[in-house]
Amino acid sequence: MVTTSAVQRNWPSKGSSKIPFWVYSDPDIYAQELEKIFYGPHWSYVGLEAEVPNKGDFKTTNIGERAVIITRADDGEIYVVENRCAHRGVKFCRKKLGNTAELVCPYHQWSYALDGSLLGVPLMRGVRRKGGMPQDFNKADHGLTRLRSERVNGVIWATFSDETPDFETYLGPRMFKHYSRVYSGKPLKVLGYNRQRIPANWKLMLENIKDSYHPGLLHVFFATFGLFRADQDSAVDVDDTGMHGILISRKGEQVKNEVTSQIRTFQDNLNLQDPRILDYKHEWDGPDTVGMITVFPSVILQQQVNSLSIRQILPRGPNEFDFIWTHFGYADDDEDMTTRRLRQANLFGPAGLVSADDGEIIEFAQDSLKTYGDSEVLAILGGHDVKCEDHIVTETAIRGMYRYYREIMGL
Amino acid sequence: MVQDLTWHEICVLADLEDEGVYGVELGGLPIAVYDVDGEIFATHDICTHGLARLSEGFLDGDLIECPLHQGLFNVKTGAPAGAPCTEAVRTFPVKCEGEKIFVAITEDAA
Repeated sequence: MVTTSAVQRNWPSKGSSKIPFWVYSDPDIYAQELEKIFYGPHWSYVGLEAEVPNKGDFKTTNIGERAVIITRADDGEIYVVENRCAHRGVKFCRKKLGNTAELVCPYHQWSYALDGSLLGVPLMRGVRRKGGMPQDFNKADHGLTRLRSERVNGVIWATFSDETPDFETYLGPRMFKHYSRVYSGKPLKVLGYNRQRIPANWKLMLENIKDSYHPGLLHVFFATFGLFRADQDSAVDVDDTGMHGILISRKGEQVKNEVTSQIRTFQDNLNLQDPRILDYKHEWDGPDTVGMITVFPSVILQQQVNSLSIRQILPRGPNEFDFIWTHFGYADDDEDMTTRRLRQANLFGPAGLVSADDGEIIEFAQDSLKTYGDSEVLAILGGHDVKCEDHIVTETAIRGMYRYYREIMGL
Repeated sequence: MVQDLTWHEICVLADLEDEGVYGVELGGLPIAVYDVDGEIFATHDICTHGLARLSEGFLDGDLIECPLHQGLFNVKTGAPAGAPCTEAVRTFPVKCEGEKIFVAITEDAA
């Protein structure tokens, strides 16, 4: 799949406001990212409790490139186990969602309980006293690998590492407060999924959401109809590590000023025929109408007006990732609110009025990044440091992520 | 309720000597025959959990362990006695005449 580069990589400049192109395409760097980031001391998003509400329910997904299964066992607990038979390593569970009494690998019919413990091994004692497993074979030693997991206000997180701090500590107090706004513990309800494969490096998707510079510029839909404009009240928050960030926006009275007048597509005489796609019904405390959280390294938690989505990143080599969108609401939403959330979800997903631009532009970025290894990306808007800002004309959240990235990758 | 049983000769005691369990077919019906300390029992031969022959399993006292997933049944009653088996296996009346073993095919209890 990938060729090995023997090049010893050194970050070409100080700080994190310039990012070498090779971090987006070098196969060695990618292999290290899987080990140090996705399989290292970080929490990855795996699913919602609402996806496995009943005993026997399961869902399959990935952390990095490794396949995992989320189950609701007979004891009502949620487990995250590797989707990898303990016998020959087969990724045996192929359904995305389902309900089952036990997990069975089709190759040799090894069967597991929903908590991952090994139940049955065909011909364990041989046949007619011939063959079979050796005397020292103990089923307790051969279950599915169980990951550490946490259920945090309806969301399930998992990690391969014993060193990952608890989830709340991992997010830090500022980011956990933002997280708890939408994920307050109110039961959630899944409304649907989108799936797409984007031919770009996985980090570009996180950067795209941390990049508060582009929304009013790239997304002509936003600029044209005034959902997101550079002059509106907004903020960027990062946690102390720089790993995570949030882009906040507050829809309000806007005036044409110097910033928006620079945007060619801004036309205040254009109106949507059906403005309900942007209509915000107040439901959370405070004035924020947009909150886009990046939880490093696996996920974007998105609230845009009343639409709620989770965008999960599943890397597939340095030049490609799968992007899984889960659209959801609250279990007690009335029909009107569900319709509102679904209508607004048309902005997002692979063909969304807004999000289609992101998938395409990071593909264009990758086309270039992979062919000029020694060049550098600029992330200098707003300076060179990492800090919380009360405006969005900054790339500070990108610098935050790369400050942390250099540390964890030893670059 | 007494019913006249029709007895079918299916095997002899010597068949059970090696393993204590022996599988036969009677008109397409798979039957497992067990020797529990000299007392003979019979059940349907197919596990109620996975598709496997109990007669290829391991008899320990009055418990038969399915070779596929190590589920257990009590051969005297057919009752499930260990995960992942949860559904009873059908049992049949047995009688011996000398070396010969006979079973009767009764309807399942209603």
